Amino acid sequence: MTVQSQLNSPFLYLLCGSIILFIALVSLFFLIRAYKAGKAMGLDTAKMKRAITASATFTLLPSVGILLGVIALSGSLGVPWPWLRLSVIGALHYETQVATAAAERVGLGGLSASSMTAQAFVTICLLMSLCIMWGMVFSSLFNKRYLRRLNQGSKKGGGVPGFGDKAMTAMFIGLICAYLGSYLGGFISGGGLFSFGGSWLPLAVVLAASLAMAGFLWLSEKKKLVWVESFSIAGSMLLAMACAVLLGKLQ
Amino acid sequence: MTDNTDLSFENRPETEPDRELFEAYNERTHLFGRIASVITLVLLLGAPFVIGAYLGVSPDLRAAASGFLAIGVIWLVSCVAEWLVYTPMLGAGGGYLAFITGNLINMKIPCAVNARDIVGVKAGTPENEIVSTLSIATSSLVTILVLAVGVALLLPLQPLLQSPVLTPAFDNVVPALFGAMAYKYFRKNLDIAAIPLLVMTLLFVLVPKLTGSTSFMILPSGAIAIALAWLKHKKAGGEKL
Repeated sequence: MTVQSQLNSPFLYLLCGSIILFIALVSLFFLIRAYKAGKAMGLDTAKMKRAITASATFTLLPSVGILLGVIALSGSLGVPWPWLRLSVIGALHYETQVATAAAERVGLGGLSASSMTAQAFVTICLLMSLCIMWGMVFSSLFNKRYLRRLNQGSKKGGGVPGFGDKAMTAMFIGLICAYLGSYLGGFISGGGLFSFGGSWLPLAVVLAASLAMAGFLWLSEKKKLVWVESFSIAGSMLLAMACAVLLGKLQ
Repeated sequence: MTDNTDLSFENRPETEPDRELFEAYNERTHLFGRIASVITLVLLLGAPFVIGAYLGVSPDLRAAASGFLAIGVIWLVSCVAEWLVYTPMLGAGGGYLAFITGNLINMKIPCAVNARDIVGVKAGTPENEIVSTLSIATSSLVTILVLAVGVALLLPLQPLLQSPVLTPAFDNVVPALFGAMAYKYFRKNLDIAAIPLLVMTLLFVLVPKLTGSTSFMILPSGAIAIALAWLKHKKAGGEKL
């Protein structure tokens, strides 16, 4: 039995599948609890259902992108482990980097199916878990205290009243700016300082998605098609990704 | 016209029973969140040892320790920064779930912010807590389902998903996401977005290597945006903004 066939064995599917099932049940439990609590607190069920629908449609396309991450890692780590990592705790942009770095630390010289050994594999798995678990550790240790302190701060008027919500929106704007800046920087200096030789495709995709979003918001706000808003992100992404397919041929 | 049946969360007067219900709900959320996080940690750290036992080997603990010292410390800092920044956005239930299920920047955070905006709730309110939890839980379930179906159909799907024609589409999922979100957020907050966008662009242009550390650059970018929002808020006189 080769190492690769061992990494794809039914036992590993069963083990990883069971952990994923546990997380799915936890998510379902939190979903039902929140819905019932919202209802008991008198929140509008139609709006809660809208939040659920919007989140489901929003998630579909990025999930397919994550599936590609599973496929990418499956060549060297088998299918079950990347399936577990990317379903549960990991993030697409972290896992590949950590797995590659971990492979180098165990002496493989990079993620490679041909040089993978059983011991290297389990050590990489352990390192991946050790490296990307700290959000969960901090969350379980300090979430309660941290959120309580934040709430007390806003109640005591530690800042200008009503700023908390705007701060969160600003933080999110900052997040978007960092990514857009990286695409612009990648295009301008990606192929050498001010060479304008980097890839322009991410910028074109950003533009296409923005235009599509403008269209969806116009339909929602001006034409009063409110239901469109729930699908606006997913729709914009789909159109922008379709543009990427068309424009990709020009690159 | 003033409508007493206005169902908007923000316009609904909060009553004492609501507050009590919420406090009780929140208290239990912390308990369940901690239990779920600890069990998940045990499962994820235990899995390599169980797999090792099945394969007849054990993890090389020395290599794992040296690897952690070399690369884990970077991720430790990143995870702590993410926890500090995103927990206030997500609230208790959403926070526990998001850190258990991962994919924060590229999925859970934009998803929760989008749901919050569509429903019309403000961060730090009980309504946000509920909507954020609904959003993150739904997103996690959909991802788990898509990946499960994808893994089950991996052989027939692989040629399609990895076809060169579709490669540019899947390589650009994140630009598509942030392009759509950018229009939605920038159109009403251009005064907050302009400077961090300019600063980030200059940094990435002048130091191209930073593109490999975009997730770290969110912190200074967010700090600039928050500082600008604070100035705008103060100038407008607090709530009047």
